[in-house]
Amino acid sequence: MEKHRIAVLDVKVGVMGEVGGSSGYTYIDMYDLPNIPLEPYACLVIHGSSDQEFLLKHKDVVANFLNQGKVVLFGGQLFRPWLPGGSSFVPRTIRSHLDYHIAVAKAHPIFADVDPIELTYKKGVAGFFARGHHPVPAGAEVLLTLPDGEPTLYIDRSSTKGTLMVSSGYNLLGYRDGNTTRSIGERVEAWIAQEYNLLQQGVHIQ
Amino acid sequence: MRRIAALYSGLSYQYRSWNEPKYRKYIADIVYIPDMEDDSLAGFDVVLLPSRLHTGLLAKVKPMLDQFAANGGTVVVFWPNDAERIVPNQNWEDRPTNFWWWLDKNAKSGIEQRNPEHNLYKYITLQDATWHYHGVFWPEGDVVPLVVTEDGGALVYVDKTSTAGTWVVTSLDPEFHYGSYFMPATERFLDGLFPWLAEGEL
Repeated sequence: MEKHRIAVLDVKVGVMGEVGGSSGYTYIDMYDLPNIPLEPYACLVIHGSSDQEFLLKHKDVVANFLNQGKVVLFGGQLFRPWLPGGSSFVPRTIRSHLDYHIAVAKAHPIFADVDPIELTYKKGVAGFFARGHHPVPAGAEVLLTLPDGEPTLYIDRSSTKGTLMVSSGYNLLGYRDGNTTRSIGERVEAWIAQEYNLLQQGVHIQ
Repeated sequence: MRRIAALYSGLSYQYRSWNEPKYRKYIADIVYIPDMEDDSLAGFDVVLLPSRLHTGLLAKVKPMLDQFAANGGTVVVFWPNDAERIVPNQNWEDRPTNFWWWLDKNAKSGIEQRNPEHNLYKYITLQDATWHYHGVFWPEGDVVPLVVTEDGGALVYVDKTSTAGTWVVTSLDPEFHYGSYFMPATERFLDGLFPWLAEGEL
């Protein structure tokens, strides 16, 4: 799948941590979302710094996109009900850095050989990755969790005819650094292509 | 109490910061920028511009802020991503952000206090304004610097001379961090800033 078939909703602020990874993706001003034909795209990437009032007003655009058998990536803290299957962000009460510890809940190619400690800590500081969770919809596949099992990353193939990957931190497409984590972005990109192809073939993934 | 308008563009961290009850009680209205019209700031004394706004929304709101200041209002600016255009009579300098200064041996933030007798310092301490920053302002007018870098770049200052109104300008972004559940100093900064804006001597 060509990179330009991944459309990133551009929030036009250049917020750190939300770059879409390697170049080649298509960037669409998020306020143009209702006016742009989305047929050319296999995946829509929606940042946490997006206007959720606007997304709520145009939630049908996102749902219709998914129901074409396509993929949506979201990373951020939901507080409006615009994302299919989405629930409002629940912050974790933080008493120590141990409260931020990320665990891989289920083996998945995206996290093969990834050290969860490296997800949790940057230069010895925890908290960049996720500071809470979204309660998951029925049937969701939970990939990463906080210490009490709160899901910080899930895949939802049930809420629509497409697939959602929802993170309570950043979306993982931009993850290109670290010793064991540097391949995550590329793997997410490969996962999007694989997921899209299967969806378009009408295969229901269990 | 001054009537404060908190501008809002639907971002999760703005939502949390402006709706936190201890801050909300100081905010007369939360104003959603995409719906703003020319007279949307009428009746307010203070308008608060959050950081990280979409450049199209900044362009939309800029003439309204200028008019508001020309009418004598107070404009409060958190780290504007288009500072050169938004804040009058200054030069903005991007600085590489050191998130890690406090991990170094003999940690020194490189941040200094100015005008300690200023009324803002009855509401916050220098430590409450000490976290990483994204750049500095070099004001050209006769302003009151409050927090500066070692080399004199302004992180927090008040400008009452460049327009008929008052500009409270900072390169800090407290509503982003507090609203993202990240970094306690930013909460102490907001704890002091809101009552100062509502009732203090600006």
